[in-house]
Amino acid sequence: MKYKYLLIVSVVAIGAMIFLASSIKGREKERIEINQGPEIAHQDRAKNEAWERYYPRQYSSWKKTKEGTDIKDMLKAKPQLAVLWAGYGFAKDYNAPRGHYYAVQDNRNSLRTGAPVDSKTGPMPTACWTCKSPDVPRMIEEDGELEFFTGKWAKYGTEIVNPIGCYNCHNPKTAELEVHVPYLDRSLKAAGLPTFEESTYQEKRNLVCAQCHVEYYFKKTEWQDENGNKQVAKVVTLPWKYGLTAEGAEKYYDEVGHTDFKNKISGTPILKTQHPGYELFKTGIHGQKGVSCADCHMPYTQDGAVKYSDHQLQNPLNTMDRSCMNCHRESEKKLKEIVARKYERKDQLAELTMDNLAKAHLETAKAMEVGATDEELKVIRSDIRKSQWRWDYAVASHASFFHAPEETLRLLAVGNEYAMKARIKLVSVLAKYGVMNYSAPDFSTKESAQALAGVPLEKLVKAKLEFKKTLEAEWIKQAIARKLISNETLKDADKESSYFKK
Amino acid sequence: MKESNLKKISISAFFIAIVFFGYLVYASKMSSYLSDDPKACINCHVMNTQYATWQHSSHARDARCVDCHLPHDGFFRKYKTKAIDGWKHSKAFTLNSYDPAIKISKEGAVIVQENCVSCHKSIVSNIVINATKYHNFKDPELITGRKCWDCHKTVPHGKVRATTTTPGNIGVKEVK
Repeated sequence: MKYKYLLIVSVVAIGAMIFLASSIKGREKERIEINQGPEIAHQDRAKNEAWERYYPRQYSSWKKTKEGTDIKDMLKAKPQLAVLWAGYGFAKDYNAPRGHYYAVQDNRNSLRTGAPVDSKTGPMPTACWTCKSPDVPRMIEEDGELEFFTGKWAKYGTEIVNPIGCYNCHNPKTAELEVHVPYLDRSLKAAGLPTFEESTYQEKRNLVCAQCHVEYYFKKTEWQDENGNKQVAKVVTLPWKYGLTAEGAEKYYDEVGHTDFKNKISGTPILKTQHPGYELFKTGIHGQKGVSCADCHMPYTQDGAVKYSDHQLQNPLNTMDRSCMNCHRESEKKLKEIVARKYERKDQLAELTMDNLAKAHLETAKAMEVGATDEELKVIRSDIRKSQWRWDYAVASHASFFHAPEETLRLLAVGNEYAMKARIKLVSVLAKYGVMNYSAPDFSTKESAQALAGVPLEKLVKAKLEFKKTLEAEWIKQAIARKLISNETLKDADKESSYFKK
Repeated sequence: MKESNLKKISISAFFIAIVFFGYLVYASKMSSYLSDDPKACINCHVMNTQYATWQHSSHARDARCVDCHLPHDGFFRKYKTKAIDGWKHSKAFTLNSYDPAIKISKEGAVIVQENCVSCHKSIVSNIVINATKYHNFKDPELITGRKCWDCHKTVPHGKVRATTTTPGNIGVKEVK
């Protein structure tokens, strides 16, 4: 009799459990369907427009990075720069940055990238594209990292057409944050830091930016292609072995014997800082408190009932109500005044340091002219190198005066000290050769400074305009024919540069 | 039916039921509900929006779902709440008897309110002392019946939190 009960209870339980199991199965299927994001086709991953359909709010806010079109010619604003960078591309053309939308076009327009006539000519290596486009990770995946970093800039003119966009930071299947350049994880490991995947979600919201907004150099790497030919790649590498500081990077560069260029005026081997925005930000109070880049530069915003992060990356002072006011309970006006004062402090010190540096370069040139030997100038040049590295590190990244005011002012003060040391030593070297009252020639305008730096501006502009009419036009024609990008996206990109306005 | 056959059949049915139960434990991720992992709360998709809004809020760094939504004053009350809420949730989910805009229950609100006060003790101690006069945490019917979030409206899930609010968010994709 008791087996009868056992049977009945078991059968009823099985029946109930079958119902539950089928319900769970059905709901699990539902969950997977709901959680599945739309998938961007593999061949379209680098094409920003392909993401618009599924992420319309993010895309249209990204597209707004085309607002704020003004070109600010930094060589006009700070002519000393041309003296400091004499003999290097930056003395030719250097503008304040514009929105991500212009990344590729401004790279093509810059006089620094020269006027190639085919895929094998021009002054710059392929590495100059690295931070400009989601087509870069696509080409690294298609060609391999070493092949990508080998050859001239013009080699990828027909391929790299989409400006910084979706695929630079997102997984095309899930839209999760992801980095697609191999050098970031390599550098994080060298610094003893967690890799991208090991990092917290909040840190990932910094690290996607750190793919580009960091100090880097092109490390010469020998390799053999499939035909057995020896090739030299110039691989983007971050100098983080001794930490994410100006002094750490300098130690690394000195150890590997790296110099970016020799200053044409003074013969000093110079390190050019790129844009150590991430490194400096980490030393500032916002970085220390765990605020991420996206918290301020991509604030959450609301569109009807939908909350999303604004992809119009810009100065957070334009979005203070959504960026600053979440934490700071002062008035916007008061905060703006505080920020403006920070800028003034930096600008005052930067101006002093630049003037002293420019004079140090020109006084060294005078010493060379009157017969000073390299041996006599060795320590002076070393001081200038140290000075210029620190000054550049402090000013090269975006808004370091705000991200890390203490570190920025420290670097400028130490940089100025080295420039002054060099100039004091120069007085005695010049005196030894009978030069007593030398004062450096005028460099107060872009024209006079570029003349001292030996920049043939007219010639460069002429060649560039020819390049734009011929090779660049061909690149764009091919890219549109291959449907890598549409005319619609391109149409407002090429309206202005430092040397033309349409 | 012979007694011995009945015995065989009933014992096999019993074993099938046991095995089936084991399968159900696995399929429903039952053991995850004993953990304090926030991802257990999005085993089904109903709370995706609550998860995403929490994950993007300031509370995400230090407080998990259970830190606010379960009582902390002892094992018994915690597991009693877990059991009651678990029963309600599975019933609502299985029978599809919930609204798209989820609202907290009266009992749930009492627990969250306790936890606001317990974590933010140093800041709210004065308010608690004066609670009988100005802020009655227990009875919303009273004129002084207020909960913390009656004023701090956006903490921590934001003001807008229906199913359409968080399309394409990252949080739900953490559970593959």
